[in-house]
Amino acid sequence: MDTLVRLEGVSKIYPRIHKSRERLQAFVSLLFGREPAHGARVLKDINLEVVRGQSLGIIGENGAGKSTLLKVLTGVIRPTSGRVMVHANIAAMLELGAGFQPDFSGMENVRMKASLMGLSNQELAERLDDILAFADIGEYIHEPVKHYSSGMVVRLGFAVITACRPDLLITDEVLAVGDESFQKKCINWIQQFLEQGGTLLLVSHSMYVVQKLCQKALWVHNGRIEEYGEVFPVTQSYLAWHEKRTAKEKEMQVKAKGDGAYYRIENFEINGSNDNETPRFAMGDNLDVELQIFSPDDRPPVGVVGVVRADGTPVYGVVSDNEDAAPVKLAENLYRFRLRLKNIALLPGSYNLSAHSMDPEGIRVFDSCQMPFVISGETKEVGYIRLPHEWLD
Amino acid sequence: MTLEKKKKFEWVFFQNLVVRQVRQDYLENITGFAWLILQPLILLAVYAFVFSTIFKARIPEAGDIGFVPYLAVAFWPWTAFSEAILKANNSITANGALIGKVAFATEQIPLASVTATFIMHLVGYLAVLVILQLMGTSIHWFHLVLVLPVILLMWILACAISLFTSAIQVFVRDLAQILPPLMTFWFFTTPILYSSSYLPASIQQFSQWNPMAWFVARLRELLLFGEITFSYRSLLVVFVVVVFAWLSLRFFRRFSGHFEDFL
Repeated sequence: MDTLVRLEGVSKIYPRIHKSRERLQAFVSLLFGREPAHGARVLKDINLEVVRGQSLGIIGENGAGKSTLLKVLTGVIRPTSGRVMVHANIAAMLELGAGFQPDFSGMENVRMKASLMGLSNQELAERLDDILAFADIGEYIHEPVKHYSSGMVVRLGFAVITACRPDLLITDEVLAVGDESFQKKCINWIQQFLEQGGTLLLVSHSMYVVQKLCQKALWVHNGRIEEYGEVFPVTQSYLAWHEKRTAKEKEMQVKAKGDGAYYRIENFEINGSNDNETPRFAMGDNLDVELQIFSPDDRPPVGVVGVVRADGTPVYGVVSDNEDAAPVKLAENLYRFRLRLKNIALLPGSYNLSAHSMDPEGIRVFDSCQMPFVISGETKEVGYIRLPHEWLD
Repeated sequence: MTLEKKKKFEWVFFQNLVVRQVRQDYLENITGFAWLILQPLILLAVYAFVFSTIFKARIPEAGDIGFVPYLAVAFWPWTAFSEAILKANNSITANGALIGKVAFATEQIPLASVTATFIMHLVGYLAVLVILQLMGTSIHWFHLVLVLPVILLMWILACAISLFTSAIQVFVRDLAQILPPLMTFWFFTTPILYSSSYLPASIQQFSQWNPMAWFVARLRELLLFGEITFSYRSLLVVFVVVVFAWLSLRFFRRFSGHFEDFL
């Protein structure tokens, strides 16, 4: 296999340089080839190999070391220890700005960047039209880059890369800045690039993009490789880790406020079924909703129940205290609302039943919960809801 | 700790850097490139007025050549040299946006800055020489063939010093304050405003080790006196300058991979 990049035992320490004395110390330790005395260890003993034709997604939380890893890979920064071997013509989009100088026009920056990537003046002249067409920023090309929006900078930066036809493309979460149509254009270009045997390293927080473009994924956590392998298992365990962390944070939040200090939804069901299957109803059925709310101070909370169309359009909602509906006390700190939506007039389609719990004063929403359900049936009526009607003579 | 990625010296990129530097310094003015020639001529007029009319400066060795040509022939190359070093000193920090985002041979930045300054002042130097000729000083034009290698050597020395200072500047920002007075000191200890015979014997000893004194003396000999005095010392100067340049490039590369951490 044709190895394009190989990292062996790569570590990176960012020296601490707030004070001028620390800068001087860092300078002296570099002069004598020593590791910096103080600093943040951002990468720890990374081993990685990228072969030709591979597409690798790098994922991880903010500050995990993804961007530093890319910078080491591209050679923008030198690792504190370890070896970096690169046998490829790399084009990289690291962060915003893409190495553009803000005071110069887009055109001049294109010229600089293209020459930096090894394009001769003649090659640039031949491909300039393609670059401008891809960037599609019109007359702004003659304006200084400092007047560009961040989306325009990315457009131009990516356009130059498309013209350079690299072996290895490295992008760092830059696609997220472009608008919808530009993102699509980039993703199409990358897919084509991969089909033609190109190699891709991509940092993204969008698992959708990673799964769409990459075969393999690398999860970086605290400067180490947490997991490396096929894209789906790795992204899934990354997402699972996030969910666990979020759950833990929530738990900690509650604990921090004292014993269960907020009004949370304990249980939410339609017609007694809250298992995994989506409940189905016909028009005209009754929907029996049950909502149990935990009340930390044992005062009766306020409950909200509503129906939302699957695309998010609200259809109907009702708040318990506006209708003087009081919950039943089931146990210490636990209250229950029961609501019957009678003879339901929703037209067939997918809906969500949503519930919220509020404090006894009905001022703040504390918890929300949604449950999908389907109204089945056939009708030629249009809209969301059947209004009572009759055709007159 | 090795980095086995070849960072090529991109020639087209280097040209672009130089052109951009020249444009940045001159094209933003209304008159543009005219200043390249106007500025040295105005300065020449000022020096002529100050030194000939007010100070009535005389240099015995200059003979009937006069003080102003004697000064001008040495002064312009010095200005190029000194300005090149002072400008290149900040070049790394000024190009931080590029250095943190793109991998390339970073030494191109200070080298391009030095080169741009030299090119600009060389144009001015030629203009000054032409004016001197028109004012009646006989310039030995054929010796330009030998003047160019001397200036080339000055350029190499300026590049070498700039590689040192621009790398250190990233870490020790105070250098930007220290460097200008140092260059002024160098200016006055080099026989530019005066002849080396004015120096007391004890200082003349040191002056032997001042490469700028050697350059200045060669330029005057070649252009004004029409003498060619190259000796084994010339070879020594070439050797020292080239070795120094090689060392400074090594020094620069030792740090260049870490600039991003400090910008």
